[in-house]
Amino acid sequence: MNASLDKKLRPELIIRLVGVCFFAYLFFGFMLLPCLNTLTSIFNTKNAAGERDAFAVIRFFLAGTMGKFVWNSLKLAVALVITVNVVGISIVLLTEYFDIKGAGILRMGYMTTMIYSGVALVTGYMFLYASDGILTTALKNAFPHMNPNWFSGYNAVLFTMTFACTSNHMLFLRNAIRGIDYNTVEAARNMGANPFKVLWKVVLPTLIPTLFSLTVMTFITGLCAMSAPTLLGYDSINPEIVRLAGSSTADEAFPQARAALLSIILAMFTIILLTVLSAYERKGHYLSVSKTKAKLQKQKIVNPVANIIAHLYAYVLFIIYMTPVVMIVIFSFQTYSAIRQKKLDLSQWTLINFFGKEDYQYLTSRGQYKTREGSISGVFSNDATLGGIKLSFVLSALAAAFACVIVVVACNYMFNKKHKKSGIVLEYALLFPWLLPTILICYSYRTYFNSDAIWYVGNKNLYYAQNVRMLIVMAYTVTKLPFSLRMIKASFYSIDEELEDAAKNLGASPIRTFLQVKLPIILPSVLAVFALNFNALFTEYDMSATFASSYGTSYAMVIQAMCAEEGLYGYNVNASGRRCASTVFIMLVSGLILYLVYGVGSRDLSERLAIRERRRKFFQKLSGKKE
Amino acid sequence: MIKLNNIVVKFGDFVALHDINVHVKEGEFFTFLGPSGCGKTTTLRTITGFIEPASGTVVVKDRDITHVPIEDRNIGIVFQSYALFPTMTVYDNIEFGLKIKKVPKAERDQRVREIARKVDLSDEQLKKAVSQLSGGQQQRVAIARALVTGPAIICMDEPLSNLDAKLRVQLRNELKKMQKDFGITTIYVTHDQEEALTLSDRIAVFNKGYIEQIGTPNEVYNFSKTEFVCNFIGDINRLEDGIVSAMVKDGAKLDANKHNYIRLERLHVNVEPRPGQVSLEGTVESREYYGLYIKYYISVAGQTLKVIEKNDGVRIYEEGQKVRVIIDPKDVMAYDADGKGEAQ
Repeated sequence: MNASLDKKLRPELIIRLVGVCFFAYLFFGFMLLPCLNTLTSIFNTKNAAGERDAFAVIRFFLAGTMGKFVWNSLKLAVALVITVNVVGISIVLLTEYFDIKGAGILRMGYMTTMIYSGVALVTGYMFLYASDGILTTALKNAFPHMNPNWFSGYNAVLFTMTFACTSNHMLFLRNAIRGIDYNTVEAARNMGANPFKVLWKVVLPTLIPTLFSLTVMTFITGLCAMSAPTLLGYDSINPEIVRLAGSSTADEAFPQARAALLSIILAMFTIILLTVLSAYERKGHYLSVSKTKAKLQKQKIVNPVANIIAHLYAYVLFIIYMTPVVMIVIFSFQTYSAIRQKKLDLSQWTLINFFGKEDYQYLTSRGQYKTREGSISGVFSNDATLGGIKLSFVLSALAAAFACVIVVVACNYMFNKKHKKSGIVLEYALLFPWLLPTILICYSYRTYFNSDAIWYVGNKNLYYAQNVRMLIVMAYTVTKLPFSLRMIKASFYSIDEELEDAAKNLGASPIRTFLQVKLPIILPSVLAVFALNFNALFTEYDMSATFASSYGTSYAMVIQAMCAEEGLYGYNVNASGRRCASTVFIMLVSGLILYLVYGVGSRDLSERLAIRERRRKFFQKLSGKKE
Repeated sequence: MIKLNNIVVKFGDFVALHDINVHVKEGEFFTFLGPSGCGKTTTLRTITGFIEPASGTVVVKDRDITHVPIEDRNIGIVFQSYALFPTMTVYDNIEFGLKIKKVPKAERDQRVREIARKVDLSDEQLKKAVSQLSGGQQQRVAIARALVTGPAIICMDEPLSNLDAKLRVQLRNELKKMQKDFGITTIYVTHDQEEALTLSDRIAVFNKGYIEQIGTPNEVYNFSKTEFVCNFIGDINRLEDGIVSAMVKDGAKLDANKHNYIRLERLHVNVEPRPGQVSLEGTVESREYYGLYIKYYISVAGQTLKVIEKNDGVRIYEEGQKVRVIIDPKDVMAYDADGKGEAQ
């Protein structure tokens, strides 16, 4: 008996040991140590004489202009909380609560930020509003005295991010408002409250928990803003960290230590906010308690003036959301000259921004015509762009998969009753990156692994040459762990405990039980998380900007580059067109992924069987006709 | 067939089962009955191997299986939620256990179809996803899956509790028929006393980790061994001092110091008392009309007695009507103050 018990235990023990080693390696090696290194590096600055001066950076911070970046970020975050909530609540109410004509189309427009975000979105806005943007050009023609650079700095960042950051409202607030018990609305109406009173007194209070979470998330997004301030020129914390990380002591005083200090300040803000948030979420008892929920019915705005104003407001927002998308799609099929002149040429449509190459002829200053071969090229025929797409594709897919596999293994361990305490430790270890701003993790990686003295990665410099790709994958993976954990853990809760008992009773081993019973149940969720991870990483900008190096030029970096090098001396003539085409490509990829996740992925076995049956009948009919 | 000898189960400091002794005979339909948290499911899980007892032995067909792994016990289980694998078809669900036992494919197919036929599942249903079946069909799949590997025993953990009342009664009958047809030893867990009484050959009544009584449905119902059992099974009247002393005055041999109980249907209204029976005067307080029978609340000697009369159209009593309630002292079950007693 004992001998057989030993035999059974041994492989299990080895697997367990390997697991413990792996997660310890991941946590200490790729979360704790690099970030601790950043923290300590603040106090390791040396003065001109080469003496260690622990508080030099702090003195520098208090005396110099560094505080400006923190202040700017805070200012942006606070402003965003107001504007994003106003716009976010508006679009949800206009599509879900009030009876507005064309709500379906409005909703589609408001949801466009879900299929393009970050660099793609910011460059999209720039395509309209920048000094050479379509709208600015049109305005300049009408009002020659206007400042063409009106769309830059704080206002531009605030405007862009206000509309870019409503995706979460569209997801969560919409969900919350749909969960409202309509009977409570009817009860209030019955007691004589008008729709606006009902909204204010009955509906909004039930949305407060969701709004609070959204507010905290928006605040953090504002603090950690990266692509918009970088591209539109606003001195907030993140762009400054990236700039300092690439600077050297020859140019300015201890740039690395300053970057470290800024990222730690950012981390402190994030930690405080998230602590407040989770404390609040734990208390959350605002939720509706009615047993039978009646579906919300849209409220008609009775006052005709209010009704017209609401409709106007809805469609103005719709135009703001849709114009960049429509313009980008249209101009992605236009020639470079049409794009350069920002004039739609309805007679000439082209696919050159997507596929193929064309030569470009230009007049030199000496009056000669020169030809650059293949200088006009599409997204899929331009080496740099294609390289960025390929790299981002591979790195994102790898990282998205790693994050899922790690989390599934961890959840399987955590959900075993025997591992209650160690499971909690594991969970917190995997949630750790959630507390830290992405930039801190990436900056820490960049500085910590830029050395060949790190023994546990085989004394290899991971920031050097091609190794940086490995570093990017690690950073992608680690930053995606908390999200993956929250989502996949939720799906583990849906596994009936008796299923495991049933499989065991029928003789299945733990591994077989996992592979054949549990995994198929959670697989749709895991694939959804994989797809969402991939979607976010594929056009990810913040991290790749921190790791900027010729071996780590991701897709977002390529898109950013396409804003800068437009058509100089015949190079990259159609960079703008390619940028538009890139955005269209991204929208297609994201749209497809969201369709797969929420459309195909949520089908259960009965639905899949029904579809298979329909397909079989269809082919039967088809082959029957042929015969 | 199955012997539980002095089983003790502990969860930390909490003793879930105290010295449980049960002997289930071959082919018997044996029910563990009790309120939630009484230890019935724990006992079942000890037999199936999900729980290892702190002491005591589980013996099946003279083989000690106390420490045998779950999968080697040859015991089928039908779970409360059925625990059908939602990502597999009905066929795959039933086939699962055979696959693990490495039964050749042709034989697997034959056995799956055979058992499916026995539990009335069509070939069309075998191809379906579990979620496409009704509750009753799902239960049949769960039974087929548990039986296909040819277990010596089948354990069912409240398999009817997830169904609506009508279906529950219908499936109860099907279940009993299936058990008879297969002739398999069955251990059944439920908190529903009616289910236990209609289905079982014998019942073990659990309370707080102890077994209060083991017996046939009739023994448990009419000769409840403890006060808990007589209260838990069926509806009952506790006779208070007023009635007891009135009955004693009429010559009944009752002990006023004991807790005396009588079933509702053992009381009769306005009939001629036979020798030894006691007749007491009362007033009808109210009545509940059930169709099949009528339940009267009758005030007798300062206490309200519940009485059930068959709705035969002859005896209908109105509120406030004076009636006579007839009690046979032989029908009274008496217990000591500690709840123990002797069934009479």
